[in-house]
Amino acid sequence: MSSCSCGHEHDQAINPLIPTRAKVIKIVEETPDVKTFFISTLDDKKPFDPNPGQLGMLSLPDIGEAMFSVTDKGENHIEMAIKAIGKLTYTLHEIEVGQEVGIRGPYGNGFPLDYFKGKDILFIGGGIGLAPVRSLIMHCLRNREDYGKLTVVYGARSKADLCFKDDLFNNWPKVPNMEVFITIDKEEEGWDGHVGFVPAYVEELAPKPQATVLCGPPIMIKFTLPILQKMGFADKDIITTLEMRMKCGIGKCGRCNIGSKYVCLDGPVFSMEELKDLPPEY
Amino acid sequence: MFTFQESEIKNLLNALAKEYKVFVPAKVGDESKFVPYDDNVELYWDRNVLLSVKDKFFPHTEPMYKFKTKRKTVEIEPLASKDEPVLLFGVRSCDLQALNCLDQVFLTKGFVDEFYRTKRDQATIVALGCNEAEDTCFCTAMGVDPQKGNGADIQAYRTQGKFGMEALTEKGQKIIDILKSYLKEENLQVPETQGFQLQPDMDGVAEKLKGMFDAELWAEVAPTCLNCGACTYICPTCHCFDISQDVRGEEGFKYRCWDSCMFEEYTLMAGGHNPRPSKKERVRNRFMHKLCYFPERYNMLLCTGCGRCLNVCPVNLHITSIIGKVKEAN
Repeated sequence: MSSCSCGHEHDQAINPLIPTRAKVIKIVEETPDVKTFFISTLDDKKPFDPNPGQLGMLSLPDIGEAMFSVTDKGENHIEMAIKAIGKLTYTLHEIEVGQEVGIRGPYGNGFPLDYFKGKDILFIGGGIGLAPVRSLIMHCLRNREDYGKLTVVYGARSKADLCFKDDLFNNWPKVPNMEVFITIDKEEEGWDGHVGFVPAYVEELAPKPQATVLCGPPIMIKFTLPILQKMGFADKDIITTLEMRMKCGIGKCGRCNIGSKYVCLDGPVFSMEELKDLPPEY
Repeated sequence: MFTFQESEIKNLLNALAKEYKVFVPAKVGDESKFVPYDDNVELYWDRNVLLSVKDKFFPHTEPMYKFKTKRKTVEIEPLASKDEPVLLFGVRSCDLQALNCLDQVFLTKGFVDEFYRTKRDQATIVALGCNEAEDTCFCTAMGVDPQKGNGADIQAYRTQGKFGMEALTEKGQKIIDILKSYLKEENLQVPETQGFQLQPDMDGVAEKLKGMFDAELWAEVAPTCLNCGACTYICPTCHCFDISQDVRGEEGFKYRCWDSCMFEEYTLMAGGHNPRPSKKERVRNRFMHKLCYFPERYNMLLCTGCGRCLNVCPVNLHITSIIGKVKEAN
């Protein structure tokens, strides 16, 4: 037995690489290939208390383990919106409520909450890229008086591919001093909203926030950045969150480095100012 | 200094083996490596061992925990770690410096790797000075003193048919206490290491590399690389690992095993994107990591000049020649 700073006695030091047993308490089908999983410990507690933008390692031990952004948290759970794209995520899409899983975290730096305080914020998301951004939006909504005007510009390939539809169409538009702009790539029947790509839509809307958070496919980021710069944003006011292949999540296994930084530990949230100091290898 | 005759070594190792699990450098077939000591071991002192002591702290494959999956349930059971004091007798300076590198990775920056820490805490290390450098040795260029194992519990020397020993820590003093009856106190001249042939000039290299991410050098040298990974496997400082599982029906165990930045799958993401898709990016990352990124993050080189990668690289893509090319680059 050894004492630790939390004041408890532990049989052994906590091993950060060993997951906690947890269970899926709810599954929401967001799109044909994205589901949100609500995860609690077996005794109905929050597995850990992540800050907005932080990550968690989720596993089906016999299949694999991977890092996902935490989309939101509740009293007794955390949420992860996961796109079916590889072996583990396809298997996750087949599980049912009550399935037990392994979970460990929280990992990464999360969004710089103090920096955002008092600012008007523009959130730009593309496809599943809204998942990490949503954790910050939900934080702002829970602490509404701490933040200024909130503007969301979000796009997906089609109407069916829009994640978090309930938030986008019902919840967020009702929030005072919050605007939501949604676009899809191509015209389709039953859609009378905006059609077009996210970067052009941002340019057209020309919002005047003090800080921007963007996350989406690399192509969206590539074309949105020059527009933000044209709008007069300094690099320090453009915040993004990256993903890389990860195994350990604690800055040891090596693979998620960009230059001397590890995305799992020093990221996943970086400002454009910080990224400019790093090699463009992500 | 405490000394004993080399002919007495087995008596001393036998005495130590009563208190520790003792590992010694030995010849095993065509290989040389640290093996558990017993009377039949062919002790090997003339040169450094082919395989470093890295795997004593960070094994090739290391089970992490057991699990059971049945219908919707998942059970996770940590594995008990062995609780036994270990003694490594005869670790060279370059390989001690490699442990100092691994300490930075596994023990600092917010998370402690318990698998590594447990083994590190249990180990007492007797360093052994080098009398003669091999053709591929360049530790002195990397700031390593071949007669002084940085971080060792005891520094030993082998000269004039004798071993000399100096305790450097409390753990080391305990070894001296155990061996007291075999030891004599006398002055022993510490030999100077002879025969260094490689002296890559590291002056300013880490700093210069910061501006060389887009240098032509990488496209020039990368095509010869086979991405075989031998350099990373043999390296005492390479620490990258994969995590996977062995599943037998409802039961299985999670393990980690050495991985290599030379392999394409290492950074390949589920969606198909790969930030280091070709040899150029992978070769660049390996050398940048050792000579630029690691110094930036931990303030020390991730190369100790042991020269093992020079011996195993099938296409002679040597870190020493890369250092030379970096110095020459405009």
